Amino acid sequence: MRGIFSLLVVSLMLIALPAMVGNEFYVNLASQVLIYALLAMSLNILVGLGGMVSLGHAAYLGVAAYTDAWLVTNAGVDTLSAAFLAVAVTTAMAALFGLLALRAAGLGFVMITLALAQILWGLGYRWADLTGGDNGIRLASRPAPFGIDLASPTHFYYFSLVVCSLAFVCLWRLAHSPFGASLRGARDQPRRMRMLGHHVWMVRWIAFIMAGFWGSIAGLLFVYYNQFIHPHSLSLQQSAEALLMVILGGANAFLGPIVGALIITLVKNVASSYVDRWNSLLGLIFVVVVLFMPQGIVPGLKFHWTQFTRRGRKVFLAAPAPPSP
Amino acid sequence: MPLAALEISGLNKRFGGVPATRDASLCVRAGERRLIIGPNGAGKTTLFNLVTGDLSPDSGSVRLFGQEILNLPTRQRVHLGLARTYQILTLFATETFAQNVVLALLGLRATRWNPWSSLAANRALHRTACEMLLQVGLADSADRIVAQASYGDRRRLELAMALAQNPRVLLLDEPLAGLSQEERQIVRRLLDGIPRDVTIVMIEHDMDTALAFAERISVLHRGEVIVEGTRAEVVAHSRTKEVYLGE
Repeated sequence: MRGIFSLLVVSLMLIALPAMVGNEFYVNLASQVLIYALLAMSLNILVGLGGMVSLGHAAYLGVAAYTDAWLVTNAGVDTLSAAFLAVAVTTAMAALFGLLALRAAGLGFVMITLALAQILWGLGYRWADLTGGDNGIRLASRPAPFGIDLASPTHFYYFSLVVCSLAFVCLWRLAHSPFGASLRGARDQPRRMRMLGHHVWMVRWIAFIMAGFWGSIAGLLFVYYNQFIHPHSLSLQQSAEALLMVILGGANAFLGPIVGALIITLVKNVASSYVDRWNSLLGLIFVVVVLFMPQGIVPGLKFHWTQFTRRGRKVFLAAPAPPSP
Repeated sequence: MPLAALEISGLNKRFGGVPATRDASLCVRAGERRLIIGPNGAGKTTLFNLVTGDLSPDSGSVRLFGQEILNLPTRQRVHLGLARTYQILTLFATETFAQNVVLALLGLRATRWNPWSSLAANRALHRTACEMLLQVGLADSADRIVAQASYGDRRRLELAMALAQNPRVLLLDEPLAGLSQEERQIVRRLLDGIPRDVTIVMIEHDMDTALAFAERISVLHRGEVIVEGTRAEVVAHSRTKEVYLGE
């Protein structure tokens, strides 16, 4: 009941946000938060549910964005077909990358995902005929689904909100589904899961493809928002940022990646206009979180809140306590 | 001759230069209760690991109801009706008892691939899980977190999960280890109540229970099956005495 109430309040706030802030800069910022929240949520299928740390998640954002921009700008494909093709190509690539990365576990898995993403980053810079190299590819205009022009920041914000809400519902269902339970089981006790008849490898592979699919949706929003894609979006820094969002917010909390994306995007955009060394500020936040909430902000706050309320109750109850014998 | 439920022949496994099983052969009839005994390091658990596919042998053959299973991955052996419990508990520690059994039930059901339906809303699955817990005397523990439970309760949960798989051949690796007298009674009654269409192979050190339970006994020593027979035959055999009492 309380959950439904909070969901309602947050939804209303998100819907009212453009009217409340009334400033294009902040509406655009909110759109960016949504895009990164989607990217972080998609990565968390692997990190949180699957226990597979990927350091190459920018690949899916980047390839989807590049494919879409290239198809529209250089091949003259219409917006809708380009979007579908971009998602299809990226998801297929995730299936292939999954085959390679799942040959290893733990650190090996991290390194393979990193290496694959770095190859794409290198191609982004070097294969200039296809990618435009350092110039990137420009998208002439944002799409206009159902005649709604997304060039308006408010329209784009609502468009992102709808897409992200859809993803949120799907991923929420995933986390609470039998498949989600199998994925968590494969994370905690792979050997036992096999002995229970589960196909651990297949479960992980499907999760890898799902992460790629939702990552590609984030990539579409990204390229629509910026109307531009550059090799930087394929870089290790982009992958690491997505991973840091997940870890900062808390990989084992459903809302963790969203909170992480919110904080990092805000620090990047808002704090950087006041302080020069916003990276240091981000570093400082990390140190504090790691020290006091090693599980991430969302589980950490939950823990400290229960501690706080329990202590409060204890003090209240302990006041008239009889002396112990 | 009735079909053997589990037929192991000429099974060899070496760890480096050390042989863990040597030409191990074992034939368990359908419905039989078989006890495997042997001193520490005799290769009992290794034998189980080879049968389930946790380890792959250097040579030999393992047949489940006549079908060679060594070339199958573990999960497929499980789908053919193989289940086991672990000597070292292998549970989902942060989940509830019921959720552990639900994962066991899911393993053999097609809904395990469903990424959309709510697992918690699957009342039928949850009810079956609670029935399995009731069988091992853990009905009250359904909503407890495994990490907070006693060792004895966890051991019984291992058993509940294996039974939930509705196995045809059940491998029990020291199901009584670490249990109190009362808990042993519960598990003993439970084992006696398992229907005869389930074949059971058990490793156990609690001789009172094990000998009362088993129809045939295999003695494993340095990876070899050195004696096999009924309780009286095995106890009277000179090799058994040699292994257990020294030369």
